[in-house]
Amino acid sequence: MQFLNQPPRYLFFTGKGGVGKTSIACATAVQLASEGKRVLLVSTDPASNVGQVFGESIGNHITAIPAVPKLWALEIDPQAAAQAYRDRIVGPVRGVLPESVVKGIEEQLSGACTTEIAAFDEFTALLIDSTLTADFEHIIFDTAPTGHTIRLLQLPGAWSGFLEEGKGDASCLGPLAGLEKQRTQYKSAVDALADPQRTRLILVARAQRTTLREVARTHEELAAIGLSQQYLVVNGVLPASEAAHDELAAAIHQREQGALMAMPDVLQALPRDQIDLKPFNLVGLDALRHLLVATTSGSAASSIELPAELDAPSLSSLVDDIAVDGHGLVMLMGKGGVGKTTLAAAVAVELAQRGLPVHLTTSDPAAHLSETLEGSLPNLTVSRIDPHTETERYRQHVLDTKGAQLDAEGRALLEEDLRSPCTEEIAVFQAFSRIIREAGKKFVIMDTAPTGHTLLLLDATGAYHREVTRQMGNTGLHYTTPMMQLQDPKQTKVLIATLAETTPVLEAANLQSDLRRAGIEPWAWIVNNSVTAARPDSLLLRQRAFNELKEIDSVATHHAKRFAVVPLLKNEPVGVDRLRHLAHHLTEEA
Amino acid sequence: MATIQIFDPALCCSTGVCGVEVDQALVSFAADVDWAKQNGAQLERFNLAGQPLAFAENATVKAFLERSGQEALPLILVDGEVALAGRYPNRTELARWAGIATANATQPQGGCCSGSRCC
Repeated sequence: MQFLNQPPRYLFFTGKGGVGKTSIACATAVQLASEGKRVLLVSTDPASNVGQVFGESIGNHITAIPAVPKLWALEIDPQAAAQAYRDRIVGPVRGVLPESVVKGIEEQLSGACTTEIAAFDEFTALLIDSTLTADFEHIIFDTAPTGHTIRLLQLPGAWSGFLEEGKGDASCLGPLAGLEKQRTQYKSAVDALADPQRTRLILVARAQRTTLREVARTHEELAAIGLSQQYLVVNGVLPASEAAHDELAAAIHQREQGALMAMPDVLQALPRDQIDLKPFNLVGLDALRHLLVATTSGSAASSIELPAELDAPSLSSLVDDIAVDGHGLVMLMGKGGVGKTTLAAAVAVELAQRGLPVHLTTSDPAAHLSETLEGSLPNLTVSRIDPHTETERYRQHVLDTKGAQLDAEGRALLEEDLRSPCTEEIAVFQAFSRIIREAGKKFVIMDTAPTGHTLLLLDATGAYHREVTRQMGNTGLHYTTPMMQLQDPKQTKVLIATLAETTPVLEAANLQSDLRRAGIEPWAWIVNNSVTAARPDSLLLRQRAFNELKEIDSVATHHAKRFAVVPLLKNEPVGVDRLRHLAHHLTEEA
Repeated sequence: MATIQIFDPALCCSTGVCGVEVDQALVSFAADVDWAKQNGAQLERFNLAGQPLAFAENATVKAFLERSGQEALPLILVDGEVALAGRYPNRTELARWAGIATANATQPQGGCCSGSRCC
């Protein structure tokens, strides 16, 4: 593995949930420790199985791992860090200020920014020279701070009068107000990150077009702020040898190789390693030792028993229940890469084929899906919200109005605030609210939606109410407030999309609790790209299918009121026919 | 000189950076605060989301919150007494409280983002 060549002191693994960052970080730590280095492994994975892997309960303090000499580990729970931060601010006034006020403050501090900055705060101590970490030759993180956080900390304007005086007016840095460390400490932490002598960033991806595009963006963003030493690891690649075993494996292999060939140029230029999909489950020390070694070891079982028929409802049966009301808003929600756009299209096609009027709105960046569907069914209309266009328009508007009279420092800070994840959400929300008014007469299917946090904040300001009332005008919808429309399952159905893998299921569960905080109860879950539902012959794929069963079961029994499982298809689900295959559990004809 | 205290609401996203619309009142007020400070006014701002303790420890502010709720913010105290509530003061009002000759009122400038709210 190239990324293991002469590694600097700090190694950061970054990539979206479910690509295998934590496993690779663990394997790296074991590898370096076996070379005799003293290693500290820091995990922020909310589904952290680091403790499980090493048979040791770890938690929020540096713990020696007896099974691996010279290895220590530390688990940081970002949610717990954010909660501790909230308690510090809100605790002293609980029971003193009115309950509604206290709740308002807590919601204010419940956004993604707070979690991110609170987690970064926990990192800081590990990145500055201290007696705490002096003994370790390598410190390995299974996550990396985002460009947004780092840039904010680098802006002098963000600091003026804020942290130093303990009051003031920075915006996205608001959550930092209650943090205890000083500017100099944050500065040396950021300096350590941007120093190629000390820090290496390893981008972890899967061989999928959308994932690689996303990784290319992360690469450019972090390179621009000085994290120039970057490596790429493509994880879980299906080996060519499997392609001979069945058609699905052959199709996946071809698709993955195509994605690797079409990789963005900026990634092509990076030193790259590839890790094959392994026949074994990545649990236990032995599995970790084999992860980074190119091996064709036959530790796989010779056959894997799978249930002959997956006992799970199809998407089509969910659509039957959705169709009953004849109209309404259906929102697909979930993390990037779980296939919201495809699932939204499949639901729209299913409803339209039942003769119902449907408007599908997607944020599909490639637009090929919307293009192939437009005009394909008589009662289906398709439109597109481009998040980048919407965000750009919004940014420009704010800069032109609000930023007009700013000095250079103030403008830089405002521009950075406008790069926050909230901004895109708000911008898309505006486009979103233009369309949902149609839901009184027909079905409106959307592949994007504001989070519960955004809805609560906007609802609290009244801005949401005003905006939507204005947009909805006099459409004769029976609602009391727009928020109630979203909370009423008769009018709005939220479908949570996920994959049958540990981290994506956990992320979906977090999303669900965020929505519940806003009084919105997700109507159903959809498990997408299921290998189990595709009934593979290849042993590698059967192993993956076997691992899925546990996750599907946990969705069915713990998380979802209703659910459906959608199979992984041989071909990209484009066009009406293939979308129907998704909804009906059908295996494709060649 | 009189001390002016501004107790801001906690709602970050209404600043406009994250909000549905840009709140021009906050933009202008931030500039006015800057101007007043440059002219020697003693002025403090407290954000409900960041410094709730400042609200809880001040009997006047606490009673105001209990009676009227956070929707009624901002609240402006001058030397500890309620001077204005429910909207931000304009430059003339600030000047009167701080004893600044209004002839000095020049073009607003500086720190727009200072909604004293978070994102």
